[in-house]
Amino acid sequence: MHREAERASPAAVSWVCAAFAGGVLLHVERAPAWVSAAALILIAWRLLAARGGVALPGGWLRAILALVAMAAVYARFRTLNGLSAGTALLMLMGALKLLETRTRRDQLVVLGASLFLLLAACLDRQSLPRAPLYVLEVWLCCAALAVAATPGFRAREAVRLAGRTLLLAAPLALLMFVFFPRVAGSFWAVPRTEEAVTGLSDTMSPGSISHLITSYDIAFRVRFIGPAPPYPQRYWRGPVLHDFDGRTWRSAPQLYRRRAPLEGQGPLYRYRVDLEPTQQHWWLALDTPLASPDPKVTLTYDFQLVSATVVSQPTSFEAESRHPTLQLTPLPAGDRRRDTYLPRGQNPRTAQLARELRRRAPSDAALVQAALDVLRTGGFTYSLDPEPLAADQIDDFLFNTKSGFCEHYASAFVALLRAAGVPAHVVTGYLGGELNPIGGYYEVRQSDAHSWAEVWLDGQGWTRIDPTGVVEPERLSRGLLDLIPGAASAQERFLRASPWLVRLLQRWDAANAWWNERVVKFDYTTQLDVLERLGIRSPDEREVGWAFALALLGWLAVIAWHMGRGQRRAPRDALARAYLRLCRKLAGSGRPRAAHEGPLDYAAALAVRDPALAARAHELLSRYAQLRFGPPLPATRARDIEEFRRAVARLR
Amino acid sequence: MRRFLSARMAAWVRRRQGPDSLPVVLERRRLYILPTRAGLAFAALWLFMLLAALNYGNSLALLLTFLLAGFALVTMHACHRNLLGVQLSGLAAPAVFAGTTGALHVTLENPDATDHPGLEAALDAEAPASGEAGAHGRLRLELPLPATRRGVARIGRLRLATAHPFGLFRAWTWVHLPVEMLVYPRPLGSLPAPTANGQKPGASAGGTVGLDEWQGLRPFREGDSPRQVDWKAYAREAPLLVKEYSPAGSDLCLFDFSRLAVPDLEARLSQLARWVVDAEAHGDRYALALPGLTLAPDRGPAHRHRCLAALAVFDAPRS
Repeated sequence: MHREAERASPAAVSWVCAAFAGGVLLHVERAPAWVSAAALILIAWRLLAARGGVALPGGWLRAILALVAMAAVYARFRTLNGLSAGTALLMLMGALKLLETRTRRDQLVVLGASLFLLLAACLDRQSLPRAPLYVLEVWLCCAALAVAATPGFRAREAVRLAGRTLLLAAPLALLMFVFFPRVAGSFWAVPRTEEAVTGLSDTMSPGSISHLITSYDIAFRVRFIGPAPPYPQRYWRGPVLHDFDGRTWRSAPQLYRRRAPLEGQGPLYRYRVDLEPTQQHWWLALDTPLASPDPKVTLTYDFQLVSATVVSQPTSFEAESRHPTLQLTPLPAGDRRRDTYLPRGQNPRTAQLARELRRRAPSDAALVQAALDVLRTGGFTYSLDPEPLAADQIDDFLFNTKSGFCEHYASAFVALLRAAGVPAHVVTGYLGGELNPIGGYYEVRQSDAHSWAEVWLDGQGWTRIDPTGVVEPERLSRGLLDLIPGAASAQERFLRASPWLVRLLQRWDAANAWWNERVVKFDYTTQLDVLERLGIRSPDEREVGWAFALALLGWLAVIAWHMGRGQRRAPRDALARAYLRLCRKLAGSGRPRAAHEGPLDYAAALAVRDPALAARAHELLSRYAQLRFGPPLPATRARDIEEFRRAVARLR
Repeated sequence: MRRFLSARMAAWVRRRQGPDSLPVVLERRRLYILPTRAGLAFAALWLFMLLAALNYGNSLALLLTFLLAGFALVTMHACHRNLLGVQLSGLAAPAVFAGTTGALHVTLENPDATDHPGLEAALDAEAPASGEAGAHGRLRLELPLPATRRGVARIGRLRLATAHPFGLFRAWTWVHLPVEMLVYPRPLGSLPAPTANGQKPGASAGGTVGLDEWQGLRPFREGDSPRQVDWKAYAREAPLLVKEYSPAGSDLCLFDFSRLAVPDLEARLSQLARWVVDAEAHGDRYALALPGLTLAPDRGPAHRHRCLAALAVFDAPRS
């Protein structure tokens, strides 16, 4: 509009820089390091230029930098679309735009980019510890907006004003959050994030699980409906691994194979699992899940729950499990072949041991017991830090190092049984989980990761055998970190040393669980649930609409009240008050003052109409005009106003 | 089209509000509020954010979007509130000479216990002047008012506005006050000034001012004769100063319109204005005679104003 007003104020430059830097810092761990570094360097450049230290780049240089940035982002992501690439591009382009902020409009563009970076950060990660960062960033953006909008506005005032405004806005945000209709599905395809998250994978090689268990992160939380199984029964079933190449176990779920009928024998457990995002397809359930909990999740023939989409958001489901199970149908020949396969020519000593065990054992069940006895009595030790294994891994482990971790035992045990012709495979997952007494649920952490074996026994079906339990029986009743304190990092050991800290950690986790449950996973179902709790039983649109309208009016009333406060508290102008009182009194003569009349006009009008009143009225009105419009008399003004007030009070 | 609309709008507002008188209290019914361009851009950005949050089904992004919606609404209230209750307590445009730029002095009072930053005052289609009125404080703004021709310049309507805080909305009001700026004729011409008996006044207005008693220096004022400026001081980078001389030995002058032999009316008035300004600066007593009006000999700022005002409105077209 007006050139003058649109010119950027120099104080605003550093605020806009700070807001944009905040947006960049929200992505600093996920974005490629060079993107964050480049953006921060550009911001520093702008700040230095604002102090007059260095010159800003010219238009040509900026254009070249923009092209280079675009090309670099494209080279890294192979696209300019999607959340990661888009965020990186926005970081670089926003920083370049910052270099040419001359007018207020430019600054607003950069602030818009900062808000977008914040939005991208929300889309990327929604965990509770990040929430305060997001709040700080939105605060920073609003304060920068305040500084940019009003030239000469003090920074401290701007921060306070932005904070107050956001606080007033928060109730409306909550209201809209509860009432705003959620849409099912997406308007456009949601691109998948490719970031790796700690967790189980579809392969297992020596070291993959021991790497996992150093992480204290929550894998999922479980709330049992009814009694919970004891610790040694809490096997959480993840990827089932069939294929072995001598080093690595792999899985390729066969989604479309028919499942053989399964008969559950043990007690039935009902529970609800809250999965943390894993970017994997597996949903973890208590061994052995009986049915698929969700239409988009398949219960495979080997009882894995495999979802059609990756778990990229916190996800909840309810399921039922039983253990042990009974499978009376014979094992198909293909499955038998697959689960007895070993690479040829490897591990000759294991093959020899298997032949020996086979010769002595009358049945497969006896063979399994004999194999477990080998592990029990062979001088095996449980260690998180075993020696590296030579080329024939199983041989080296069984006859040489004799020291390893659950993955070594499961792997060697399955290989041994396969060599003896017994169908077996490796199951990975978690074992245990700790009760959080505050939240009333079990926390299963990455450090609870485990692997065990399943063996086919005729007349019984797939049977869970945990060879680790033979070597280290304690592992079946206690968490790994209790078992081997060295497994935890120094920080976690410290945290777990004091019961007070443990309780604090549990509290913190309960807060996280609440956050995931109530905020992150808030969807149509939760919305209905909350509305019902608010007393809207049958949520037809009209009722919800009315409730929202009422709540909105309440909020507006609060805002209006808050805005009016400063005004009501202000002491009224005594002179104006006395003048209005005088006018009210004079209006009693039958000639009220017209809105456009000044005091002297009014006095003149009164003189025509009511000469008796006019003399006194003229005296007072002209005294008012003198006080209001006359030359300033700082010394006597207050006293004069007081006298005027008294004179008005005395009138009639 | 746009001009037509804004003219209709102005007429409607004028009808709706009626004429104003000082002090003008900016109450609710006369405040208008609309989003600014920045506000519209914010709305577009917000809509996109909402779509993205809904699309991803992301609760935190939705919360952020709703928080920003609440923020914008609170901002609107705060913007309205920032103008509400402010009083326009003074509006004056001191007289100036034609060809210079005058100023409209706007005085805003803040009766509240809170600050009111970012208050703007503007004449139609002109750049606004802005400032802050502190708690119980007052804000004086000056709007430039170009005086092109002598006469009475009428001020249309004054726009008081604020986009504070955050600049997403602008609240404004129009004030219709009959404020006029008197524009004196531009003091021009080099004819010697006549004395009371029609003779030349000797040296006093002629230029040999050195004969008078030296009194001192004062800052330059509009209308001062360039001959009296202390150019030597100015060359030493001092401000523009004017040498003053005591009225001792001053003459009585009569400036008569009818005796002036200049055909053009404006040039004649300009010459008279020149004489009045010079005589006053010199401390002479002077009288002014116009057709139908004679001002008795006197001196002093009030007399000078009376004379110049008479010249300003003499047979003047209203503008």
